[in-house]
Amino acid sequence: MAVNEETGPGNQDTGPGEERAAATGGNPADSPAEREPLPCGRELWSVWERWESGEADPHAAACPHCTEALNTLRHLEDVVSAARATEPREQDTDASALVGRVMDVVRLELRPGRTLPLGEEDEDAWIVEAAAARTVRAAAETLPGVRAGSCRIEVRSQDTDTTAPAGRLRRGPVGIRLEVEAPLTWHLQEVAEQVRHRVLEAAETELGMRVTVVDVTITDITEDVEGRRP
Amino acid sequence: MPGERGRAPQDGADEAARRADGLLAVRAGEGDEEAFEELVRRHAPGLLRLATRLLGSRTEAEDAVQDSFVSAWRKLPEFRRDARFGTWIHRIVTNRCLNVLRARRPAVDLEGVPEPQAPEHEASPARVAEGHAAVADLTRAMAGLSPEQRVCWVLRELNGLSYESIAESVGISPEAVRGRVFRARRYLTEAMAAWR
Repeated sequence: MAVNEETGPGNQDTGPGEERAAATGGNPADSPAEREPLPCGRELWSVWERWESGEADPHAAACPHCTEALNTLRHLEDVVSAARATEPREQDTDASALVGRVMDVVRLELRPGRTLPLGEEDEDAWIVEAAAARTVRAAAETLPGVRAGSCRIEVRSQDTDTTAPAGRLRRGPVGIRLEVEAPLTWHLQEVAEQVRHRVLEAAETELGMRVTVVDVTITDITEDVEGRRP
Repeated sequence: MPGERGRAPQDGADEAARRADGLLAVRAGEGDEEAFEELVRRHAPGLLRLATRLLGSRTEAEDAVQDSFVSAWRKLPEFRRDARFGTWIHRIVTNRCLNVLRARRPAVDLEGVPEPQAPEHEASPARVAEGHAAVADLTRAMAGLSPEQRVCWVLRELNGLSYESIAESVGISPEAVRGRVFRARRYLTEAMAAWR
């Protein structure tokens, strides 16, 4: 897995005996006390491990010491099952208060993205990228079964007035790059065309934003079709 | 299910959930807080249960899960698309709980660990008394595990993860996970036998 910032260094949380166990591999019980075998000569960890793996173990089945060792493990598993049964079911866990608290913090740390121009060159109206992207994605999702993912909007350098004073935010029409998932029922070119059309319409009527280009990428074709073609 | 090609329905549902998570994570990474809220809603109940098992306290679990989500929000812009949000947030919560357990003072006096209250929702009255006593013993015994043993054992026994998944979650080798789970089991069986 690529993203693991929360994970500390692997060996930091390894106790003394555990590091050796990891290094030697196979036998997890590597300290002398742990290696003390059952009266029949087998080691506890190996008896338990074979039972857990479901491997046939003829010796253990016939041996009273191994049977006793397995009974204690089975008893533990029974208690674990009983403990699980007393927990509230996952779908009954009320997390709404938690969701509210998380979002309270998140809303103090919004990431609005770029500031984009609205209206004509000589106007001074602006919108943040995250807000514009919300309108763009919603417009694409008015098409049955279409789901919008990444949406990037920026003033394209080739479209801007290069004579604009330095240090000022650039004004000019924007380019939109939008990724969508669409169900199998759509013809791909057709869905891309329709998404482009709806996005342009929404940008103009809902935002008053001048758009030169809408790049639509279909990133996935979904099978779970809820909508039908219009 | 339409469009299903010889897969078990559960796999189909998992796949759809994974796909929806992926889309939401991309949007959240671009600053769409509504998409993030949806991710929080989808994952909070399972993560709360995980953290409650790991920490033995619902209040502390709520804090740990809340901190984990806030940290996820901050890091989402660097989140790679081929990664699974569910795996990632599970790992963040696990590590957060591990740190909480490490910061606790060691429970030297096991006899002083309070017995948990009997839960209100009961299944069948038969064997309940005996079952309760055993579950209470287990909860008490778990307080004697090291943080590392406890995390590995809970993920294995209560969450049913494979040794490999636990190894990935905790950032150690599968062999080290096996060692910890073994030690935890041995400790728990001995502790519970001693109290009976």
